Amino acid sequence: MTKADRTGAEAVSTGRDIDPITLSTVWHGFQSIGREMRHVIDRTAQNYLIAQLHDMAAGIWDVHGNTIAVPEGPTSMFLSQGFTVKYIMERMGHTLKPGDVILCNDPYKGYCNHLPDWGFFRPVFYQGELLFIVLTRGHQLDTGGAFPGGYFPNGYDIHAEGIMIPPIKVVDQGVERTDVLELIWNNVRWPEGVKIDNYALMAALQVADDRIVALLDKYGRDEVLECVDEMMDRMERSVRTQLAAVPDGTWSGESSTDDDGTVLDEQVTVRCDATIKGDELILDFSRSDGLRKGFVNCTYSSTYSRAVAGSFLYFDSALAEFHNEGSMRAVTVIAPEGSVVNATYPATVGGSPVNVGTQVLEATVNALSKAMPDKAIAGWGRRRGHYIAGIDPRTGERYVQTTTDADGGAGAVFGFDGYEGALGMSGLGSINRGSVEEIEIRFPWRTVKWHFVPDMSGAGKWRGGCGMLWEVENLGGDVGAATGSSDGDLTQPPGALGGEDGPLSRMYIRKGDDVTPARTHRMVQIRTGEILGKVSGGGGGVGDPFERDPERVLKDVIDEMTTIPYAKDVYGVVILDGDPPTLDAEATRALRATRATA
Amino acid sequence: MYRITIDVGGTFTDCLVMDGEGTLRQFKSYTTPRDPSQGFLDALTKAAAGYGHPDLGAFLGQVELIIHGTTLATNTLINRNGARTGMITTKGFRDIIEIRRGFKNVRTSMYDVFVPPYEPLVPRHLRLEASERALYSGETLTELDETETRAAAERLKEKGVEAVVIGFLHSYADPTNEQKASAIAREVLTDTYVTASHEILPVWREYERFSTAVVSAYTGPIVEKYLRTLVARLADEGFRGNLLMMLSDGLVETVDYCIPRVVYLIGSGPAAAPSGALHIGDAIGTRNILSVDMGGTSFDICMVQDGEIPTTTEAWVQDERVAIKMVDIQSGGAGGGSIAWIDQLGLLRVGPKSAGGDPGPACYGKGGTEPTVTDADLVLGYVPADYFLGGEIALDADAARAAVSTVAEPLGLSVEATASAIFTTVNSYMADQITEVATRRGHDVRDFALVAGGGAGPVHAAAIADLLHMPQVVIPPIAATYSAFGMFAMDVGRNYARSYITRAKDLDPAHVQELYQGMEAEAIAGFAALGVDASDVTFARTADVRYLGQFHEVEVSVPSGAIDQAAIDAALADFHKRHRQLYTFDMPWQQVELLTFRLRATTPKAPFTMRGIEAGGPDSSAALKRRRTVWFDGEPMDTPVYDGALLRAGNEFHGPAIVEETTTSVVIPPRYACRVDDVRNYVLTRDGAQVRGTGTGDAGAQLVGGAA
Repeated sequence: MTKADRTGAEAVSTGRDIDPITLSTVWHGFQSIGREMRHVIDRTAQNYLIAQLHDMAAGIWDVHGNTIAVPEGPTSMFLSQGFTVKYIMERMGHTLKPGDVILCNDPYKGYCNHLPDWGFFRPVFYQGELLFIVLTRGHQLDTGGAFPGGYFPNGYDIHAEGIMIPPIKVVDQGVERTDVLELIWNNVRWPEGVKIDNYALMAALQVADDRIVALLDKYGRDEVLECVDEMMDRMERSVRTQLAAVPDGTWSGESSTDDDGTVLDEQVTVRCDATIKGDELILDFSRSDGLRKGFVNCTYSSTYSRAVAGSFLYFDSALAEFHNEGSMRAVTVIAPEGSVVNATYPATVGGSPVNVGTQVLEATVNALSKAMPDKAIAGWGRRRGHYIAGIDPRTGERYVQTTTDADGGAGAVFGFDGYEGALGMSGLGSINRGSVEEIEIRFPWRTVKWHFVPDMSGAGKWRGGCGMLWEVENLGGDVGAATGSSDGDLTQPPGALGGEDGPLSRMYIRKGDDVTPARTHRMVQIRTGEILGKVSGGGGGVGDPFERDPERVLKDVIDEMTTIPYAKDVYGVVILDGDPPTLDAEATRALRATRATA
Repeated sequence: MYRITIDVGGTFTDCLVMDGEGTLRQFKSYTTPRDPSQGFLDALTKAAAGYGHPDLGAFLGQVELIIHGTTLATNTLINRNGARTGMITTKGFRDIIEIRRGFKNVRTSMYDVFVPPYEPLVPRHLRLEASERALYSGETLTELDETETRAAAERLKEKGVEAVVIGFLHSYADPTNEQKASAIAREVLTDTYVTASHEILPVWREYERFSTAVVSAYTGPIVEKYLRTLVARLADEGFRGNLLMMLSDGLVETVDYCIPRVVYLIGSGPAAAPSGALHIGDAIGTRNILSVDMGGTSFDICMVQDGEIPTTTEAWVQDERVAIKMVDIQSGGAGGGSIAWIDQLGLLRVGPKSAGGDPGPACYGKGGTEPTVTDADLVLGYVPADYFLGGEIALDADAARAAVSTVAEPLGLSVEATASAIFTTVNSYMADQITEVATRRGHDVRDFALVAGGGAGPVHAAAIADLLHMPQVVIPPIAATYSAFGMFAMDVGRNYARSYITRAKDLDPAHVQELYQGMEAEAIAGFAALGVDASDVTFARTADVRYLGQFHEVEVSVPSGAIDQAAIDAALADFHKRHRQLYTFDMPWQQVELLTFRLRATTPKAPFTMRGIEAGGPDSSAALKRRRTVWFDGEPMDTPVYDGALLRAGNEFHGPAIVEETTTSVVIPPRYACRVDDVRNYVLTRDGAQVRGTGTGDAGAQLVGGAA
């Protein structure tokens, strides 16, 4: 079937006779169930990543693996989980019973992301019939393997990265399979903590089950299922209509990560060729680098999630929270098997949610910003995470500490500067930062400094959100840190439409004035009394910096987000030093004219 | 003697007067945004005239108490027209309020990146630093550098700030450095509104504490000026009684208490509604109330179980994090002025865009052309064209139909069917929000009675209840001055909090005892200043508790009396139970951590009765005003319209019916019967409903320290 046929046929007539009010109500019902699931996890989990930084997701699928509701959360965790649902249905569908819960974290047998992201699935039955599958997923405190937290390089193969759990029942008809769970918990560090988070994730499934059944009670099975199908069809129709309005063509984008953590300082590049043809979007990653020895390989499902999430940003913002399977039907993601964007067993994948995963999203956005320049989007400040493992001298207990605090801000978009403080393009702002006071209470670390750094954002007509300086002091015990959830020492988030890329980042360990550089994708040692410092680059810019409103540049100079020399060199805006600094409009016009004629 | 409540909203200033016999009368004047004290006095002047006093002074001389709610702080924040505010903060941390823990736009989807970045209330160049550092243990790592602090204060003075926030790390654990710095700031910046974060919220988590203090300082000068003007004008006019302010936590306080803590007036008016709803709920003997207040641009939901008004410390007001304890009211963007539109998917949507008060709905005839909820209500016959606000405003039915027809066409529906769809859509949206609130709290909404207020509440309440299968709806005759009514039912009191972060196994009961003694002494001193005797003060203690490692706390009761291990054990037992109730599971095997100890000190509210109306039999025909065609469930029905003023206690009638009150219109749909009670509340009961959950509620859920 040609693409044009599909616009005319399938997409337009849905042929269902559904009362629009019921449709809308059922739809909002599913949306709100998703939010409630997230709320329960947020309230009860104990792991910093899940409860504070919100590295977790929830969602609802039908039994065919069609995505019904995808509430906020890191993109890699759920947009592709229809694959897992299909996998579970194929292998275990006939054994599923009400009250079952299935656990899975295996990237190769279960389409997961990387091993720490454990997903709990629950079949939702209504009057004896299996109708839906609900999922909650969160980054566990630990998943076993050679070093805590999952983001460490140089595993021999994926088995070195932790315990691999194919889809397995951990609750059988409401009865916990304690022996199975004990086996799993026995293979992770901090089993007490992991156990709490597992219960939190399972509690949210229970809440979802109850709420979906109530919805079915109210509107009836047939009506609810019809509404679900109708919303997917409407979403598909809308997305296809929007795609059809974009002229056909192919646009390319690319983005690189510093290295793969094993072969050092050799950048790994993801390339996206985005083709819009009629009402279809094809995101082809075939020209990306091959499978790597190091831990940056993405499974297809991770690549798929990122690419699809990137495409969502270009569709009608008013529909942003309604995306579902229908939106995905118009998008095809191609990634050749055995490449860095479609890893094959037993390749390591631990670092992929940050490294290569982010690049998939950036490359997608880099390409689509060329296709739709009035919706241009720049890359966000690169992640500057770490996992520190040590013993807290105050309690004698082992701890693992991770953070998002040092990450730079969001990339600019057409029309607006990047959102200051928002972090992590792959979470699109659904992930949060910590609290200085909370961290000091919880861990033997003290924050020394935490603030924006002037000029540390990609310049543009709209500039990126700023990068930051973050320093923390180790108060107790020599520790090891894995910097696998960091990136951006050598590579930059791409700007768009003539905007600059986000600046490079750096990291160091400081003892007094003695500063030793530290690098991404490594293992580093930090001794008691030493300071870990990070200077992050912010987001990329959108549009020519010389087109930036000089008043905006002046405001940034007054706020010490931009320096006077930088304003002149990069923005062509002449600011006179003074209290307050003032704009020399004439000199600015002259300076900007020079380049225009050059 | 009279007692008065005044709620100054965005459009109207609502005034309720209660005479010595408990009879209420409502007065309304327009809010005067430039100087809201004018609208305040206008309302009082109307009231004075209503009671036959040509002279305001003579009337005010007989007023013993005015309780006042104001939207000024909220609107100052929303309209971003607050004070030029500066901040002095711990060196190295000037950007905490702009980094704001990475929160992107708070209310839009993550897939919408085309949003303007957040603009902090204190711009970066007015955020200055001073060397100092406290630790979570309360120790001082670095003494305050007073020279730097003074220089920063001088600099802010040069920059012409009108308000200053002092926000230092860990100041909840030891406020010494903040105290020293604010003393310096007050010395340098005379006539400037100075606030220290520990004065507003002595609780851990710096972003939340600083943000709250910044909101307080930003709104402070405008509100202070207003309150001082108001107090002076009232005194000039001869008022000698007490003026108390309605706070966001559902308590009332003196003006002097509020002026340095203006953030406590955020949400001041709406916070009163649940107290009023509870009082109204007494009329049908239930303490399980869902309060719905639907006005022009938004609606507020509050779920009260067992008479306990819920509070939260997790509110966002617009894009600002406000972490003080507030009555937990969920606000949604749907009201009478909400505009209906068709989205890309061909679905009818209502709101969040609103026609506001100006131009307002199309039927106001002030130039609005887009269809609003009020236009739909008029088309359906729920609202009378000739008796809106007792006939003060004539509604233009043709304009309403024309507006509704703009969305009727693309939907392929008639004007009436479209109006029905708008009506149902907005009701479904509210019903959905209500379900979400209920689920979060672990409640079944069918166990609650819906009490409705606001101008549009009485029109929509029964339809919402119907969607939710709620058995009972109560609509008070003062629905249009709902929050003002709630202020009659308020407690006077304060909330106190102290952080003491400890594992349960390491907790020192004697230290908790000290904390409570300290808070109680402070409370008693505070009340003494109000002339309240210590013996009239009641304390309620709670603690924020979590399983070790969790990040969110559950607030549980702490027994009164001496704190010993048994008292702590009782609180812990309550915690496990509450956790199970809220989240479906508990973890008795896991260590427990306690963080913040809280005290609520109140004095019993003044006795408060309302005078009943004349009794009559079930027959309501004497009050029949007219009949008209009203649309229910998409069908036109010949519907009786009653005159609210003529109804008698005990009158009964079945839907479909409309009651016209001067300030509102009560809609009784076909599936509900209506009974008029002895204070003219309209009590609606769904056909065939088993009224459950009324009365005592779940006694098990009230376990307070009895387990030890």
